[in-house]
Amino acid sequence: MEKERESIEYNFEQCIKCTVCTVYCPVVAVNPDYPGPKQAGPDGERYRLKNPLFYDEALDMCLNCKRCEVACPSGVRVGDIIQNARLKYGTKKPRLRDFMLASTDLMGSVATVVAPVANASLSLKPVKAVMDCTLGVDKHRTFPKYSSQKFVTWFRKHARKAQDAFPKKVSYFHGCYANYNFPQLAKDFVTVMNAVGYGVNLLEDEKCCGVALISNGFKKRATKQAQTNLAALREAVGRGEPVLTTSSTCTFTIRDEYAHILGLDNSDVRDSVMLAVRFLFNLVDSGKVKLVFREDFRRKIAYHTPCHMEKLGWGIYPVSLLKMIPGVDLTVLDSNCCGIAGTYGFKKEHYADSQKIGEPLFNQIKSLAPDVVATDCETCKWQIEMSTGYPVANPVSILAEALDIEATMKANA
Amino acid sequence: MVQEYDVIVIGGGITGAGVARDASMRGLKTLLVERHDLTDGATGRNHGLLHSGARYAVTDSESASECIRENMILRRIASHCVEQTDGLFITLPEDDLGYQATFIESCRKAGINAFAIDPKEAIRLEPSVNKSLIGAVRVPDGAVDPFRLTIANVVDAQLHGADVLTYKQVTSILKDDSGRVTGIGVTDLHTKQQTKYYSKIVINAAGIWGHGIAQMAGAQVNMFPAKGALLIFGHRVNNMVLNRCRKPADADILVPGDTICLIGTTSSRVPFEEVDNMNVTPQEVEVLMREGEKLAPSLASTRILRAYAGVRPLVAADNDPSGRSISRGIVCLDHETRDGIPGFITITGGKLMTYRLMAEWAVDLACKKLGVDRKCETAEVCLPGSSATPQEQPRVGTTIGQRAARGRHGERTSQISLSSDTDRSIVCECEEVSVGEVNYAIEKLGVTGLVDMRRRTRVGMGTCQGELCACRAAGLLAKADGCARKAISNVADFLNERWKGIRPIAWGETLCEAQFTSWIYEGVCGLNDSQEKRIQ
Amino acid sequence: MKFDTIIIGGGLAGLTAGISLVNKGQKTLIVSSGQSALHFFSGSFELLSSSDNPFDAMKSLPVSHPYSKIGKDNILRLAGSAVPFFKSAGVTLSGESSHKRVTPMGFLKNAWLTSDGLLTVPADGTLPWKKAAVVNISGFLDFHSPFVCAGLEKCGLECREFAVTLPELEKLRHNPTEMRSTNIAKTLTGEVLDKFAAEIERVSAGCDVVILPAVVGIQDESECKRLCSLVSRPVKMVATFPPSVPGIRIQVQLKRQFCAAGGTFMLGDTVTEGVFEGGLLKGIYTRNHGDTLLTADNFVIASGSFFSHGLVAERNRVYEPVFGLDVLASDERGEWFATDIFENQPYMSFGLSVDNEFRPSLGGVTIGNLRAVGSVLGGFNPLKEGCGAGVAILTAMRVAELIS
Repeated sequence: MEKERESIEYNFEQCIKCTVCTVYCPVVAVNPDYPGPKQAGPDGERYRLKNPLFYDEALDMCLNCKRCEVACPSGVRVGDIIQNARLKYGTKKPRLRDFMLASTDLMGSVATVVAPVANASLSLKPVKAVMDCTLGVDKHRTFPKYSSQKFVTWFRKHARKAQDAFPKKVSYFHGCYANYNFPQLAKDFVTVMNAVGYGVNLLEDEKCCGVALISNGFKKRATKQAQTNLAALREAVGRGEPVLTTSSTCTFTIRDEYAHILGLDNSDVRDSVMLAVRFLFNLVDSGKVKLVFREDFRRKIAYHTPCHMEKLGWGIYPVSLLKMIPGVDLTVLDSNCCGIAGTYGFKKEHYADSQKIGEPLFNQIKSLAPDVVATDCETCKWQIEMSTGYPVANPVSILAEALDIEATMKANA
Repeated sequence: MVQEYDVIVIGGGITGAGVARDASMRGLKTLLVERHDLTDGATGRNHGLLHSGARYAVTDSESASECIRENMILRRIASHCVEQTDGLFITLPEDDLGYQATFIESCRKAGINAFAIDPKEAIRLEPSVNKSLIGAVRVPDGAVDPFRLTIANVVDAQLHGADVLTYKQVTSILKDDSGRVTGIGVTDLHTKQQTKYYSKIVINAAGIWGHGIAQMAGAQVNMFPAKGALLIFGHRVNNMVLNRCRKPADADILVPGDTICLIGTTSSRVPFEEVDNMNVTPQEVEVLMREGEKLAPSLASTRILRAYAGVRPLVAADNDPSGRSISRGIVCLDHETRDGIPGFITITGGKLMTYRLMAEWAVDLACKKLGVDRKCETAEVCLPGSSATPQEQPRVGTTIGQRAARGRHGERTSQISLSSDTDRSIVCECEEVSVGEVNYAIEKLGVTGLVDMRRRTRVGMGTCQGELCACRAAGLLAKADGCARKAISNVADFLNERWKGIRPIAWGETLCEAQFTSWIYEGVCGLNDSQEKRIQ
Repeated sequence: MKFDTIIIGGGLAGLTAGISLVNKGQKTLIVSSGQSALHFFSGSFELLSSSDNPFDAMKSLPVSHPYSKIGKDNILRLAGSAVPFFKSAGVTLSGESSHKRVTPMGFLKNAWLTSDGLLTVPADGTLPWKKAAVVNISGFLDFHSPFVCAGLEKCGLECREFAVTLPELEKLRHNPTEMRSTNIAKTLTGEVLDKFAAEIERVSAGCDVVILPAVVGIQDESECKRLCSLVSRPVKMVATFPPSVPGIRIQVQLKRQFCAAGGTFMLGDTVTEGVFEGGLLKGIYTRNHGDTLLTADNFVIASGSFFSHGLVAERNRVYEPVFGLDVLASDERGEWFATDIFENQPYMSFGLSVDNEFRPSLGGVTIGNLRAVGSVLGGFNPLKEGCGAGVAILTAMRVAELIS
């Protein structure tokens, strides 16, 4: 019945100035130089329409966490308004650093080849100091390690053939992180899907989803990559395969940002792109598959809802799945931003804010002292591991470990 | 001791303000008297269109020539009140494209630089325009903020020694035994106190209410109140003025103005008894919406903030008591020669665009009577806040509030204290009005209440129509004059003044906002009329 | 996904119904499109504040009024259970005796239950203090001491105004728009609150009571209690302009209670469609969950009034946007409004038409397993009658009883 209010144009007019968004903005609470979502979003938009001179460069401080949108009772796409304004009116030229941070797949391709060197040098103090001074990447920041073998390479060598045995198939959008930094997650995904009787296909051509390009102001390149991805998604969906993911941010970017920020029509594939945990939960909930868990698996898990997971509204899926594991003692952490926001927290100018934003989350984790923190976002993982010392795993990896793979395969054969 | 003025000007609209400025610049000791607040009448209830004159070119070439001349003058002397947007006269499929040639020809004759452009070019220049247009003419229309323009004239008059009284209703025109007008009797609307002011000349510049003023002096001016209704939209849909290229009709002008845009107007005769309480009817709203959507289709989905109506004073020629031959031109009446009432002048007719010329005519006449030989300089000297070479807005290092204030007060922004965090704090978040600007308005611009404050600063003029800022601004007023009760009852009046404009168009988000405002003020704050009456 | 009950709307009414149902062991889901009107809370729940004797006055309400549908005996019973109900969620409310709240503009209004720590005036209008220190935070524009003082002076309280600040608050003031109650509350915790307390202690010397804007304690009541313990004089708070810190605290606590008891809360999601079958609502689709049908035995609609978008007004029509349920409203826009903003505005009473068990109808057919609670209901004017919160809480409790 409710008409979808999808057009960004004039969406700011739905704002009734209730100030709820300002309550939930993680940035404004720690940095008074940020104008706040109400001022940066709907209020500022009226002025920018009058005269672009009213654009405020402080909008760069927006994390794009979309918590303002989740909180807004009037359906105002506050975060989209701010991101669009940054792309439309921003005058600051992106720096080399921004280009490097944004080019996750380019950097990944290079770094994977020279992974040991890259990993060693990125953790060396002198290198960090140089990056801090010349590039503006904060020296406190721990860089994610690069893997020496890309997931895609491993998959082609060791797993691709075995997929033919499964009559039912899904496609996998692995994202840059699972490909370059942490192929184990992607391997875990393949394990779990195979266990429940689904074969995995990779997309014909997968580019970085573009989230970092968008937040660093490279709209054109982001659009080009998005178009490549959309073509690949269409091809997979055309085969009748849903496209599964293991990163909440990639998922959110493809489903929402492609349309709202890049202005691309993704309506034909949007509903087919989803996190693996959603797909799995729906299969279990509808009785189509059974999960058999190991009896000796014991974990105290704290689940952190990433901002973009909050925006997707899908926290219920990983939480419900983790709750199914008999040996799991699960606490759902209060929904707070961890502060990293992709490449945001890597930048020297944002490092302090980034850590301050994450403080309540870190404190809650430390007071719980879990065996592992579960979360669906790789950058949250880096931030939480660096800031708390607790290990962080994707719910899919936890499932892969908790499942009795053979028994599950049998149950779903 | 009785203070005597050279000139008393009745009416704090743009005409009265212009007369007061001109008179005081020519060294006349001047008093301006207004019944409510400055700009309370037709001045604050029109399009804010800086006419190029094109609209009148075909039907009234004299008005058209006056308009374009004054248009060019205002761009110079009132730079901070004017936005040089240019305008389009568009032809839609339902209009006669043949009219375009006549129109352009008439414009050229009147000295208006009008030229046809390709409809595609029109869409590029103004993307909001109805894409089905079949013709477009570009003209030097623009937007003028009548509040700013009036206040700037009044401020300049004060800088030249004029006195200004607001909320003082003229209740009598004083005459001596010979029948010469010698002054006015006024009643203070707040205190009900009565006072007399004396002058050599009284100039009646009271718009439609000038009809009654003239009667007090014993003169009859044939005026006819013509109501014009308009709608304000929530943001700027268009950045160029949009007109229909056809004979002037209802609701065929869409004007951008500051953060909003306006569609208008309707035109209907109303009886004199109604001029103090104009209400916009649902039928008028329908007409404005229907015609507005033809100019810019996206208006259909744009939030409407308010509906309001002003009353134009139409003046019938003296030799036509029936009122059939209405002039839209300037009418300057020397009641000494016309009615045998020395010391009394009426300046009326005309329009916002020609206020300066109207003032010039009236003050020329007054000077002649007073034997003062000073030339009018209002066409050359910039208004306070304006400058012949306006500076580009600084972009970096200023808050949005500072940039917005600069748009409102021009060069005078330097007088607004924005040095402390408190000064920079925002009172009105929709219109970016700071504490410093509110205090400046209280101290320097003669603000007595929230409605006055709104006219001088745009507090409460934005999307939320006073939802958060009314109380904040009232708090500052209370601090300034030390009376909390007065400030609170002022909030109640202000909310009702806002409600009057909201009510005719309260649906969609506008109704959500209105309900939210009531929830805050009546619910959370417990403000209601019975409590108000208890205070009184 | 299958639930026992799905509630649409996560404000005061939705959460009250949700907690009541999970407490009975129901698997309950709340779908809420954004945060609720508790963010604009006055500090007190009102029962029927237009009257000094609300329970008596209820007898003369029209039969269509939600209170009349609950019934006198049920109201007395449910109202009596409200304080312990909220207490169990960590929300302390005082309401043993009739009292008035003090509004941000200094008016006194009849209240039913008031959030702990807020300033109230007993029905007889006498306060136990003579001299009050009314302490605002420098640069905070959503609380005006002069208004509050003017009101309290009528109760015979001599008020002295102060403004205090701290370096941490000064930092916040740097932002021209974000010196808001909630940002102040986020600052006034831990050691900063200690320093704040010391400042208050200092300026209020010689006064019997300290009156503050309600800008402390956004997550729970502990910081408020700590502040009170750190100052030697009684500390009382007065509600501010939105956002409301006490209101957000109640929202946070109720939601926490609901989730801790096993409820599922989906924030920022919107119901896009209902699936009806044979006079029953079978399931709903939401924007975030796309093609996943969320099913339940019972449904509650607690979607609020116009400003919560539980009702939508078009140029000449008022409708309920989730399912298109039948509403009590005029289609003639001329009949929606009164001339004076403070008169009884007819649109305020628009809302769902329900039977005596709060079941709305769709095209004239009563939906057997759907109930409506709170301000989406028609037939009452929450502002004029002063009963918005009372209707929200009591209809929610009543409906939870009817469901199980």
